[in-house]
Amino acid sequence: MSKAIRIGLPLLGAVTVLSGWYWGLFVAPPDREMGDVQRLMYAHVPAVWMALICSTLNFGSSLTYLFNGKSSADALAEASAEVGLLFGVYGVMLGAIWGKPTWGVYWTWDPRLTSAAVMLVAYMGYMALRKFVDDPEKRARWSAIVGILAFADIPIVWFSVRWWKSLHQIQSSPRTVDPELVLPLRWNSFGLFFVMLAFLVFRYAIARSRIREESAPPEVLSHQRVGLASTGTHR
Amino acid sequence: MNFLTLAFLQAAPHADPQVGAGRIVGGWEYVWAGYGISLAALVLYSLSLWFRRPRSTEPLSRTQP
Repeated sequence: MSKAIRIGLPLLGAVTVLSGWYWGLFVAPPDREMGDVQRLMYAHVPAVWMALICSTLNFGSSLTYLFNGKSSADALAEASAEVGLLFGVYGVMLGAIWGKPTWGVYWTWDPRLTSAAVMLVAYMGYMALRKFVDDPEKRARWSAIVGILAFADIPIVWFSVRWWKSLHQIQSSPRTVDPELVLPLRWNSFGLFFVMLAFLVFRYAIARSRIREESAPPEVLSHQRVGLASTGTHR
Repeated sequence: MNFLTLAFLQAAPHADPQVGAGRIVGGWEYVWAGYGISLAALVLYSLSLWFRRPRSTEPLSRTQP
């Protein structure tokens, strides 16, 4: 991994996100209806967008694995599921926090919230499956199938606010939102996108390393263990 | 009718053209909680990636027979 990616990408993401949060918290004007509570948008919306991007990436790499059987596709599927779950969990938590002052409740079984909860449960199941299946080939194949099935919920999450009556508002566009609110939202989205890319790169490296260990012959591994112990680098 | 409506609108106090504090007043505690959770999630996950990072294989190759 090049130094530019290892250091530059996380740094770019951190600086963009922190400056974006400052913009959203202290510079952007409050919303006409929701007042200062609307400032949660700059953290909530990008987080959920990143979760949806990761789910799509997981779907693509799961499909790729089933076609070509390459371990790189399986590693990318694993990385995108875990990173997507992170963004999904905290994005939904932020949505619940925003719901309390605007809707009066933290949670309600509204179509958008329910489909988002199903998404989280599906990817938690996906990660549990990866954890509990020891055979690398079976794990990769079964989790690819689960990844494809889990993705069926993603269009439902996106369109739920249009298909059914929902407490959650429908998707905004730059035409319906004041530019003073759109610009910090875009800035925060790009910032979190860089953070997501950095997370994916590092998590992919972890997954690739584990696959290499699993596919190495036992004698090499035993020598490696001795080497690790003797060099004091064993975790 | 139109004249009456116009007169009523002219007499009514005008809304401030600047965006005010909003209909929901306050609520900063929710905002801070949300950003706190975001920061904690990103920092903790970064640490988990750091602790799980693959170790260099360079020392291993030296131990190969």
